[in-house]
Amino acid sequence: MTAVTAPGRPVRRRSSLGLLAHQVGYEQLSFWRNPQSAIFTFIFPVVFVVIMGALFGGVGKSSYFGGVSALQYYVPTIAALSVLGSCYGQLAIALATRRQNGILKRARATPLPAWAYFGGLLAHCALVSVIDIALIVGAARLYGVPFPSDWAAIVLTLVLGAVSFCALGVAVASVISNAEAAPAVAQLILFPLMFISGTYLPIHSQTLNHVAGWLPVRPFNQALLGPFAHHTGPGWGNLGVLLAWGAVGAIVAIRRFRWNPRPE
Amino acid sequence: MCNALEVTGLRKSYGSVQAVRDVSFTVRQGEIVALLGPNGAGKTTTLEILEGFRRRDGGVAEVLGLDPGERSTGRELRERTGLVLQDIAVEPYLTVRETIAREAGYYAAPRDVAEVISLVHLAGLERRKVRTLSGGQKRRLDLALGLIGNPELLFLDEPTTGFDPGARREAWQLVRGLSAAGTTILLTTHAMDEAQALADRVVVLSGGVVVAEGPPSAIGGRDAEQTRITFTLPDGYTAADLPLPAKTGPDRLVVAETSNPTPALYQLTDWAIRHGTVLAGLTVERPSLEDVYLRLTNSGAPAGAPERNPR
Repeated sequence: MTAVTAPGRPVRRRSSLGLLAHQVGYEQLSFWRNPQSAIFTFIFPVVFVVIMGALFGGVGKSSYFGGVSALQYYVPTIAALSVLGSCYGQLAIALATRRQNGILKRARATPLPAWAYFGGLLAHCALVSVIDIALIVGAARLYGVPFPSDWAAIVLTLVLGAVSFCALGVAVASVISNAEAAPAVAQLILFPLMFISGTYLPIHSQTLNHVAGWLPVRPFNQALLGPFAHHTGPGWGNLGVLLAWGAVGAIVAIRRFRWNPRPE
Repeated sequence: MCNALEVTGLRKSYGSVQAVRDVSFTVRQGEIVALLGPNGAGKTTTLEILEGFRRRDGGVAEVLGLDPGERSTGRELRERTGLVLQDIAVEPYLTVRETIAREAGYYAAPRDVAEVISLVHLAGLERRKVRTLSGGQKRRLDLALGLIGNPELLFLDEPTTGFDPGARREAWQLVRGLSAAGTTILLTTHAMDEAQALADRVVVLSGGVVVAEGPPSAIGGRDAEQTRITFTLPDGYTAADLPLPAKTGPDRLVVAETSNPTPALYQLTDWAIRHGTVLAGLTVERPSLEDVYLRLTNSGAPAGAPERNPR
């Protein structure tokens, strides 16, 4: 039996940035170690572009797609979809599962501050989003869709969208009680929302567009469609609605988030 | 010696169910105290209040001189305490070393990673993925995560569940070693031999209140209780023939209770030898901690809330 010693320990408090880097590093290691989940995360949007390319590759500019080609329409909506999946969906499911497994409680039992724990997760969501979008834009290029020019507007919209949908993902994880329900609940909210927001098909109903315009997904789609397909800005109204939903998500998340699998 | 843990009049309800009604106890620095009680007695709720996972409704709780319900000192407290939770909670795709090194990075003054790996007997498995470990090995990894911050106070919630007998003995030795080095330990267990082997004192909870407290050898008046001598009555004799008062049970089993076992045994064996017979199955037992525990928790307060899932 090894003797238990209590040596004079060097005390070195990590800097906040160092702690964040530590946490981000291990979250990444943990993710890339599971190749199935990693591959699925990145293959899905590419497959989507390939299918859309096969279906609509020859369809030129049409009024049905708002005056652009089908693929020009689908590149930004699939980009939005992948941000939704990697931020909102992934986070809601991962947090609900980790809470149920006791991993969140275990993390909370250490001196790691909550912001650093979430920092590690958000950085991961952001990274997955960036890789997904690069893959989508790259795959679409093969079908002759030109690269967008106004990257500043796109990056601004993506950052805002990622932050808002991460906040909504944490909010959903906070209100659902068990991990088995997480994927179903997350999808149940997301799927109809994506449909009415024009992710899969352009919506020509004024009423539906008006309603969806106040929900989180359509403003995100529209804000990306502008710089991706129409050489216009993201539309400040769209970004405003997105930000408001992010704020709502953040408030719910902060007030309701639990680390403990047993309810209070 | 100052107290590492001080709990006075702790209360916690879930809706109308009082899970913890009035719990008071102290743990001195360097002591090993076992919190015992049936499921629903309030052990986990008490532990979670002390660990800072649950707010208390009333009473005083001091952990290393700090209030576990106080957010502003929460990080300092977590820096100085270690937890081994009831359920194994480790991420599957990291290796043993990576899992421990990640946790080490959270503390200002952690133990050495390699040292902790050898303390919990995982040496040689450093590069194994967590998902390939056996249940007992994962549990030892859990224990390593509780130790890596070099805590002054360690909470162990049923730490050896799922261990084989050899691994349990090693874990006990590790806990004793930690205690000898000055770590205070509060543990819960359902294994009475574990409490007997490890604890300096046990605190028995039932229905949300403390029903007994003391060293395992003396709890509930255990040291003053009668020794029980049992054997099978030899053929051709009745209990009245025996040299001391005894009760006969089924299968001619004789039970004699005495506060003075040495002369009683002498009388019995002398009687048997003089009559040329034997006392088959002769057993001498003191009431075990388990006997005392069962008596304490059955006759104690009515059962309270279910321990888990209070809603």
